[in-house]
Formats: sequence, structure tokens, C-alpha cells
Amino acid sequence: MKKYLALFLCLCMMVALCSTMALAEEPAEEAEEAALIADDIPDEMTSADGKYELAFVTDVGQLKDKSFNQGTFDGVKLFAAANDLSYKYYQPANGDQATDDDRYDAMKAAADNGAKVIVCAGFMQGNALAKAAAEFTDVKFVFVDGWSFEGLDNIAGIAFKEEQCGYLAGYATVKEGFTKLGFCGGGGGTNPACCRYGYGFVQGAAAAAEEMGVHVEMNYSWLYGSSFSASPELQTLANGWYEDGTEAIFACGGSMFASISAAASANDCAVIGVDVDQSFESETVITSAMKGLSDSVIWALTKAYDGTWDEIGGKDSSLGAAENAVGLPVATWSLTGWTVEEYEAMLAAIIAGDIEIDDDYANLASTDFLTLNIVE
Amino acid sequence: MTFLIQQTLIYAVPLMIVALAGVFSERSGIINLALEGIMIFGAFMGVLFVNLAQTAGWFVEAKAAGNWMALQGFELLAMLVAALMGAIFSLLLSFASVNLRADQTIGGTALNLLAPALVLFFIRLIANQNTLQMAKGDAASWFMIKKTTLGFEKNADLGFLGNTLLHKVYLATYVCILIFIVLSIILYKTRFGLRLRSCGENPQAADSLGINVHKMRYAGVSISGALAGMGGFVYSLTTANCTSNGDVAGFGFLALAVMIFGNWRPLNIAGASLLFGLFKCVAAAYSSLDINGDGVKMLAKIGISSHVYRMLPYIITLLVLAFTSKGSRAPKAEGIPYDKGMR
Repeated sequence: MKKYLALFLCLCMMVALCSTMALAEEPAEEAEEAALIADDIPDEMTSADGKYELAFVTDVGQLKDKSFNQGTFDGVKLFAAANDLSYKYYQPANGDQATDDDRYDAMKAAADNGAKVIVCAGFMQGNALAKAAAEFTDVKFVFVDGWSFEGLDNIAGIAFKEEQCGYLAGYATVKEGFTKLGFCGGGGGTNPACCRYGYGFVQGAAAAAEEMGVHVEMNYSWLYGSSFSASPELQTLANGWYEDGTEAIFACGGSMFASISAAASANDCAVIGVDVDQSFESETVITSAMKGLSDSVIWALTKAYDGTWDEIGGKDSSLGAAENAVGLPVATWSLTGWTVEEYEAMLAAIIAGDIEIDDDYANLASTDFLTLNIVE
Repeated sequence: MTFLIQQTLIYAVPLMIVALAGVFSERSGIINLALEGIMIFGAFMGVLFVNLAQTAGWFVEAKAAGNWMALQGFELLAMLVAALMGAIFSLLLSFASVNLRADQTIGGTALNLLAPALVLFFIRLIANQNTLQMAKGDAASWFMIKKTTLGFEKNADLGFLGNTLLHKVYLATYVCILIFIVLSIILYKTRFGLRLRSCGENPQAADSLGINVHKMRYAGVSISGALAGMGGFVYSLTTANCTSNGDVAGFGFLALAVMIFGNWRPLNIAGASLLFGLFKCVAAAYSSLDINGDGVKMLAKIGISSHVYRMLPYIITLLVLAFTSKGSRAPKAEGIPYDKGMR
């Protein structure tokens, strides 16, 4: 009797496993014929020879964070699909606690799997990247949110002028009529990209406040963001702010968005998204401070394949409004206090240099029109 | 004040219901260390149910039509699924400790190790990432009860009680409180409750009076599993935007601590979890707390480091444990496998 019971249980488990696997594979099969939309391209593919030419090593946080990692990976997938290349993503071991060794191991695994170009996302990969690039000199590395290294021509550092889109988002938010704002940043204040976003947001809000003659208050915090993840504490913090009168919070850090948009939804308030257009995630999003992650990855990968790598290899590329790499989402524009035309005029002014935006976030401070309340 | 009460309840209720889960198991004589694991499993199952139901198109029309009654039914259904799956998961513990007479501490620990691994494995298969989310929308827009859902104007003033109890709350919170009260009464005022407790104190005596100890212990652990599974889902619904990631931030272990410093008594447990919830809320939101409503944020003004606030819930737990543990009295026969031959 017991034997049959055991057999039955085994069968049950196998059936359950098979069915969940089938569940997971279904969408992937459908996607193959579809047009080139990043979300329709499967995240995992199996190449015939077991080699994967394009590799992507993730930053802390999940692959599908609907923000930084996902946006970067979309670029890899789109380029791969357009050029019929094999691709694979690698997540360094130990998640949020990943060490330089874990990241190096991920890069080594990518190189061992036949990668020709490895895209590494996030400034924290610097040390691992220097080690891996020195060892695998035939492999090209694209360092997103990063910089170049002395003597390593196979690394292309790509940084963004986040202060520009942060500025635009801050300006738009105040123009929309919000005067009590919040900023929740990821990385605990050590991530340069997030710092630039925040500082730009403050400058933009202050500029709009000065123009409109209003006074803006802003809560500014790095709390509960060190691992770029959602947490009950972050949701309580955001709830507290909204309850206290804050009208819009700039959720600047990957999956932190989930906590803040949940709080915004509970309080019927607004959120400003980051990195990619996040208006599809929640109805509470009024606009997003975007950087063209996937476009710049495609741009860099193109240079790696068409023989013009020397233009970026071993150099720092800082992409801003002039390169069309930062901005607000025009296609899903929902703001009424500030029109697309006005936005484009301002973008042109930034490109022309008529509006100067400071990128040295050490200068962060209150102004006559904006009171900064730093919560720590 | 309203905000403080609501947030305190949000932290306290899952803790309370899971601590009661511990009580039911231990009162029947089985140490249930697996509370954390069962919570994780229950949260996953609840979220999975919500996700699959949304994908299948259930309740989508109700959402579009603003039929909030149906959505609350959806929430209750998900709670029920989580409870059911929690109970089934806890059968592993009761089978090991009642039928196989295994060491209960080790059995519970094994489940605690198993649950997050199993859950993450399935989440990665299903969602290809580390977090399982709702298929559409977010927890607040689907399940939260607000003034507007009840048909009031957005700016209507419902008075202090109305604002606190009817605006920005989850039905799950009240259901849990109700279940907590009902089960506490069952444990102390019914024949079943008396029998259950006797199995945790002196199972041999209970057996001699014709009570089936094995059945009682199965019942205790299963109720415990159901409550913990439900508590896990309520936790993820109210504090984590209805997502599951193989983690409930140690709430299962905290519930064990709450159960012990509540001295295995429901009323004390309710008090202990409210205390803990209060300090947890203060820790996260002290910067915007206006306790007496005069517009002055006292806690932010007095200039104590935020680290102190964040340590408070745990320091208080330690302190209370240190002062109350002397009088604490665990069920006498807990942890000992029942052996008929031993008298």
C-alpha cells in the first residue's frame, strides 16, 4: 500500500512540474514570429552550438525590474534579434550582496560561453570589469552607467546625463501644479546615476517654482533603497509622506517603484518613474525621467560589430539630450500643465546650452523657491 | 493619529494571526517552528491564485465596472486558497511529528528551509524572475477599501472613526481580527478547545478519557497551518503590494517571539503584536508622524538618529521578553512525541 502511495506521489510531482514548465514556455514559443518588440523576445534562448555571442551581466536587483536592468537587456535582445545573434543573461551570484568576485565569475562564465561582447550594467561592476577585461582581451565590454579604464581599449564606458532628464521631470511636475514633492533614491546615496537624477530633479523643480512664483517643499531620502528593492518599510515611508501632504514622489531606483506606486495608489497621488517609461506599470505615473538605455546599448553594440569600436573603446561616452539619450516619454504624455511643444522647446534649449544644469550633486541644497527636507 | 493606527494594524495583524497559529499548534503539543515557512508558502499560493485568476480574466469585468463587492470576494477567496494550501503544507510537519515521531524542532526547521527554496524555484519557472506579482494593476487599486469605493465623496469627512476604519483599509485586516476572536473563544470556551489544550498538557490523561491524541494534534497543526498560510498572504497583500518573493521579512519568527511573550494566551498576543506593530510603524514613518495633530512632527524634531528608531521594535521585543519570560509557561507536553505505552 505504502509503495503505491509513494509511486502516486512521485507521479503527482512529475505532472505538476511538467505542467508548470509548459506554462513557462508557452509565451516564448508564440513570440518567435512576432515583430521586434523587446517584451516579445524571450529572455532565454538556446543556441545550436551552445555558444552565446552577446552576454548581459545584470546589476543588483532583478532582471525584470521594469527599469534599469530590463531596459538595458532590451537593447541586447533587440540587437540580437535584428542581427540574428545568440544572447544570454547572467546574474551574479548572491543577489544584492554580490561581491566583485561574483561579478567576475559571471563575466568569466559569459566569456567561457563564447561571448564576443559583454554588456555590464551598473557602476558597481567596475572592479570586476577591470579584472575580466584584462584577462579576456578578445572580448569587448560595454559598461553601462560606467567609465573607461586606462589601457583597456576593450571597455567602452557609457554614462548618461541623468541630471538633464531629472531636471525635465522636476520642471514638469511643478508645472503640473504639484508643490509638495518627494524623492526616494536607490543605492543609499552612493550611486552616481541616482544622485544626478535627484539633483537634476531638485534643480528642475526649483526652476519651475521660480518661474511660477510658488514655493516647493521636497522630502529627499535614500532610506530603504540600498538594495533597489521593494519593501514594507519603504511603502510605509511613502504612505507617511503622502498622508502628510506630499503629492508626487520621484521613485528613483528599480524595483523600489513597486512600493512607492502602491502607496501612491492607496492615497490617489502621483509617482514619477525612472530610467524607462513606467506609465504602463501603474496609473499613478504622471511622467518618467528616461534615459535611452536600450538605444544606447544598440548604438554601442553596432559600433562593436561594424568596425567602428575604436570610437568608443577605451573612452568615456557621456550621453545626454544632444545624443537624444535622455528625456521624458512623449508617446504617453499625460501632463496638462505643460505641453509636449513646451517640453521640446526646453529640450532644444538644453541641447543648445541655453539652460545649464549642474551635474555636481555635492552642491545639493535648498534655494529661495525650494525647501529641501533631507530625511535620513 | 489615523495614519498611525492604520499602519500599526497593517503590521500587527499578520503577526497576531500567525502567533495564534503557533498557539494552536503548541497547545496541541507540537512545536511549530515552521511558521515562517508556511507563511512564505501561503503568501506564494495566494499571490499565484490572484495572478492566475487575473490572467484567466476572472473579476476583470468586476474591476472595470467598479464592483467592489466582487473584488472583496476575490480577496477573501485568495485568503481561503492561501489558508488551504498552508494547511496542506503543514501536513508535512504533522505527519513527521505525529506519525513518524520525528524531532519537531528539526521537522519545523526543515520546512523553513524548504519553503523559500521551493517557492523561488516555482516563481522562477513561472515568472522568469525573483518576484511574482499581480498580473494586472496593484493591490491598492484592486483590493483596498477607500471612501470613494464606498460611494462617499473624495473629500467627505467621515469623522475620526470613519476615517480610521473605513478609509484606506483592507477587508483582510478585519477578517483576521474576527477570526482571531472566534478562534480564541473556541480554544477556551468549547469542548474541542479543552480537548486540544489537554493534549498539549497531558496527552496520556487525555487518551485515558477517550480523546484521540493523534487526531487532536493533526487538528491543531492543520489549523495552525491554515492561519499561518493566510497570515502570509495578508502580509504580502497589505505590506508588499501583493507580491511574493520567497521572503516575509522574518515575520514568522517574530510571531514565535510574540507568542512566547504573549505567554501562549490570545489576549496577551494581541497586545504584544500591537506593541511591535506600533514601533515598526514609528521606525519607518517617524519623519512624517504627527501624533497629536498639531502640525508639529515631534519625532523628527527631537533629533534622534533614524537608526535608533529602526532598532526600537527589536529592542522593545528583547526588553519585554527579558522581563516577562520568568512568568511564561509553555504547554507541558509540547515537543514530546506521544507514546501510548509511556504513562
